[in-house]
Amino acid sequence: MSDVRWLVWIGCALGGLGLWCSLPPRGASSRALGGVLGFSGLGFLGAALPGLADGVSQVVFWILASVTILAAAAAVTFRNPVYCAIWFGLALAGTAGLFLFQGAQFLAVATVVVYAGAILVTFLFILMLAQPSGRARYDRVSVEALVSAASGAILVGVLATTVLSVLASSDARQHALQVPPHERQQAILAEDHVRQIGVHLFTTYLVPVQLVGVLLFVALVGAAVIGARGNRAPENLSAPSGGWTVQKSEEVATPPLGRNHG
Amino acid sequence: MFSLKVLLLLVPTLPLAATLLTAAFGPGLLRNRSHVPVVLAIALAFLASLGLLVQVHQECSSCASFEHIVTLWTWAVVPSQDQDVEHLARGTNVPGGAKLDVGDSPPLTDKEPASRGPLRKDFRIEIALRADPLSAVMLVTVTFVALLVAVYSVGYMHGDPGYWRFFTYIGLFVFSMTMLVSASNFLLLYVFWEAVGLCSYLLIGFWYHKPEAAAAGKKAFLVNRVGDFGFALAVFLIWTTYGSLDFHDGLAGPGVLGEQRCSSGAFAGGTVGTAICLFLLLGACGKSAQLPLHVWLPDAMEGPTPVSALIHAATMVTAGVYMVVRCAPLFAVSVDAQQTVAVVGGLTALMGAIIAASQFDLKRILAYSTISQLGYMFLGLGAGAAAGNTAGMFHLVTHAFFKGLLFLGAGSVMHAMGGVIDIRRLGGLRRVMPVTCWTFLIGCLALAGVFPLAGFWSKDAILAAVHERAGEPGPASPYATLYWLGLVTAGLTAFYSLRAFFFVFFGPEQIPSEAGGHAHESPRSMTVPLVILAVASLIAGAWLELSGSLASFLASTPSLHALGHSKHAAASGGHLDVAAWSTAAAILGIALAWLMYVRSPNVRRGVVRAMEALGLYRLSAEKFFVDEMYQMLIVWPLEGVARLAAWLDRRVIDGLVDLIGWEPRGLGALLRPLQAGLLPLYALVMLLGMLLLLGTLLVS
Amino acid sequence: MAERELALLNGYLIVGAALVGIGMVGFISRRNLITIFLAAELMLQGVSLSLIAWSRYHNDFGGQVLVLMIIAVAAAEAAIALALVLMLFQRVGSLDVALWQRLREASQPPLVDHELPPESPEPPPVWPKLPPAGVRPTIPREELDFRPHV
Repeated sequence: MSDVRWLVWIGCALGGLGLWCSLPPRGASSRALGGVLGFSGLGFLGAALPGLADGVSQVVFWILASVTILAAAAAVTFRNPVYCAIWFGLALAGTAGLFLFQGAQFLAVATVVVYAGAILVTFLFILMLAQPSGRARYDRVSVEALVSAASGAILVGVLATTVLSVLASSDARQHALQVPPHERQQAILAEDHVRQIGVHLFTTYLVPVQLVGVLLFVALVGAAVIGARGNRAPENLSAPSGGWTVQKSEEVATPPLGRNHG
Repeated sequence: MFSLKVLLLLVPTLPLAATLLTAAFGPGLLRNRSHVPVVLAIALAFLASLGLLVQVHQECSSCASFEHIVTLWTWAVVPSQDQDVEHLARGTNVPGGAKLDVGDSPPLTDKEPASRGPLRKDFRIEIALRADPLSAVMLVTVTFVALLVAVYSVGYMHGDPGYWRFFTYIGLFVFSMTMLVSASNFLLLYVFWEAVGLCSYLLIGFWYHKPEAAAAGKKAFLVNRVGDFGFALAVFLIWTTYGSLDFHDGLAGPGVLGEQRCSSGAFAGGTVGTAICLFLLLGACGKSAQLPLHVWLPDAMEGPTPVSALIHAATMVTAGVYMVVRCAPLFAVSVDAQQTVAVVGGLTALMGAIIAASQFDLKRILAYSTISQLGYMFLGLGAGAAAGNTAGMFHLVTHAFFKGLLFLGAGSVMHAMGGVIDIRRLGGLRRVMPVTCWTFLIGCLALAGVFPLAGFWSKDAILAAVHERAGEPGPASPYATLYWLGLVTAGLTAFYSLRAFFFVFFGPEQIPSEAGGHAHESPRSMTVPLVILAVASLIAGAWLELSGSLASFLASTPSLHALGHSKHAAASGGHLDVAAWSTAAAILGIALAWLMYVRSPNVRRGVVRAMEALGLYRLSAEKFFVDEMYQMLIVWPLEGVARLAAWLDRRVIDGLVDLIGWEPRGLGALLRPLQAGLLPLYALVMLLGMLLLLGTLLVS
Repeated sequence: MAERELALLNGYLIVGAALVGIGMVGFISRRNLITIFLAAELMLQGVSLSLIAWSRYHNDFGGQVLVLMIIAVAAAEAAIALALVLMLFQRVGSLDVALWQRLREASQPPLVDHELPPESPEPPPVWPKLPPAGVRPTIPREELDFRPHV
């Protein structure tokens, strides 16, 4: 057990180090190093996992997992926010694949359609509205990169070790035996998965569905209201009491909508 | 018509009532009539004490020793914790008597009255006053001088803004002094001992705006405190040794100086006895300004002159003498203590006289003179036996008269000269202030001990007692040396007192500018007491001595009675040689003073140069450097300790408190960077907190 | 069979944890408001992965339904948050989160940007050159034979 833990921690450490090397304001070579470190960290983590039975599933899972994680890391590290959004889209694709791997077909598609298709597009819209020239100064700087990467690594390490230790215990095995596979075939892994999920949605989980509808409606109205009210003259921030000053003089213009500097 | 008890009670109560009246109504109602209650009360108290004296005298003519105790009420009773005190009492009829737990003192012989109950060592303090010859004499002296000083003060303190306060304090002082003298147990004596010290402090620092006066008051109180400490130790020792604090025999058992003990002679000797006597002596030194605690008296001249006359010449400083005379039987048992008393007194007398010879402040001269004369009294007390004690008391009475006279005269001069008291700036005042001049002369001659004035008889009596003691066979004693010292001091006394007189009243007329150009004789309220005291100085001494009444009167006091009858009256003829020597010394001193200050300035310069060459002039002018020694040995170390304590208090203790105050601020300053206003930082902190939580959960 | 399920569960949970971690790091360290929000969405994806895994493990559709809810909530949140971000942008003309430091303590100094090394400018895009219409282009021989890129 302990060597699995070591593997996990080493993997997390490498991953954290890789992230730190990749976060802005690091240069290109540093980011390449970060990529390598991250990949090796992933390798360690993968080695720590107990293996799936057959090789094909194992390989497919690893590919999907690494694509997702690497895309996520890229989404977080790139300078240009549009690139970040694109990488996020790839991460979403990765998660959709993982959902499919688990047999959650409906959700896989829903993720791609709603998340990647709608939410991501909204992101890109706002980016285009606010920052059409691409990279801005503040994209090239990060806040406390080292501490962030370290705490992220620690977080992942803690979670991973907890998961591994809990699920390796005998209780977990007992628990796992409680659901026989054929039941699973009939329920969650059934052929008419969408029908099953629809039945559940409209019987057991009816109320949450309705509530979600209301939530969406409220969000719609709220967004409209906020957006409508935002059409006011911008504040004058020439003497920032709570603002941000730069050592070299760089004006912070208060432009009307759409115009800014990069 | 008045009984002894009533008179005894009137004497202190009247001044007390006057004090309270003046304190209550002085500032508002009485103002510059504030003297009326106090003067009236002291006058009545004087009459009452005269009546008391007459009655006691009558009683004494019939019995050997007389005392009358008046117990007002019981102040405190602490019952004895001793469970097996019963077995100490051997019953009422056994002739062995009850044996007291008295340490190393000899047991009492079987003179216990058979009807006494079991003796219990209760701590019993009663407010008990006594009337006996000693206290009667003291009361008359005190009230007489107090009356004259009070009348004098009406003129002297006229126009002073603190007029009512002055008379309140005077009344309080007279009350305390009369109670001190009439107290019949040690604790009460101690209480009023302190009370007169308090009054002295209040009156010395009467003009408290003057920093020198305030400092002098403080000095007087502190030095007195050292003496009082000794006195307190003596009282504790007396309690443990004798089991009682009363002078008289009473419910608590035989008193320390009661008839029972005096007749049986059961006084503690050895180390304990000497210790008691030495501590008592320490107390007396503090109050009566003997070496080494004399330093407060010259500074006490910062107070108004009537105060100096009353307290520091006639009454308060004599409390020490009174106390030693009262405890004469205790001293009689310990020869070492007696010799110590005599040596202290003799040295003080000599030292005071030497210093007075070079002072230029008239009141300072008189102050050192007082120290010297008190030394004389102690010398007499140290000679022991009834003769010495009686001589000391005699000198106390006469000294009260002529020293009071001298002080009041100095006050009169000050009053006329606008507050100038430096004798170098005064001269030839005999034409301007004749009454003051001639009464002052009478006082000086009395002080010098010229026949037939009062000082001659009393000083003679002291020297005779010392001479007698020196002549006694036995181991080598310092009395012979002390006798010659006393003679030298007598000469010096004559010298300095006449020096002061010649400086001020003879020579070319020299009036300082502060006098305002119209120097004149003082008002009647001031000159009448001067005249009265001059008359007393003229005749009182001769009358008291030649009639032998004082000696025999005092011998009726229980404590003095035990010392044996005075042989003085019988052998007065054998003291002619003492008288001759002392008169010769006095005439020598007067002649030298006349030569130096009236006749020839060359002689004066020559003598001064000779003294300077000998180094004596410097020693005398600098008061033997006693003040400087005290400053170095005591004041500076104490100041250092005080500074250290202040530093500790400020830095360490306050620092700790400040630290506690600083701690929240420090903690806040530590935690404040968390609130940087930057959103990602907040998220980071949240994450770190969650990690901490996870960590603790995992670990536990 | 149980091992397989457990292994699958293990893997998914760890991947989900990794996603959450990466999203957390991005949320904490980036300064562009949109990027911060993107990282939050990443975290939500990680949670969804875990939920799907648990749902399969327990043979319960609740997990998947919850993921659906998550998607819906993410959509609502995206709408509102982006509207707010837009409002903030309209006030200061920039998407920098460091412009909004008014909530800090009075005695704390604000975050100050140090001068950055100048970014090498992006190379100007190379647009293909097209010949005018109707004219046959002349392609040099090397280009036909050898192309640097596919």
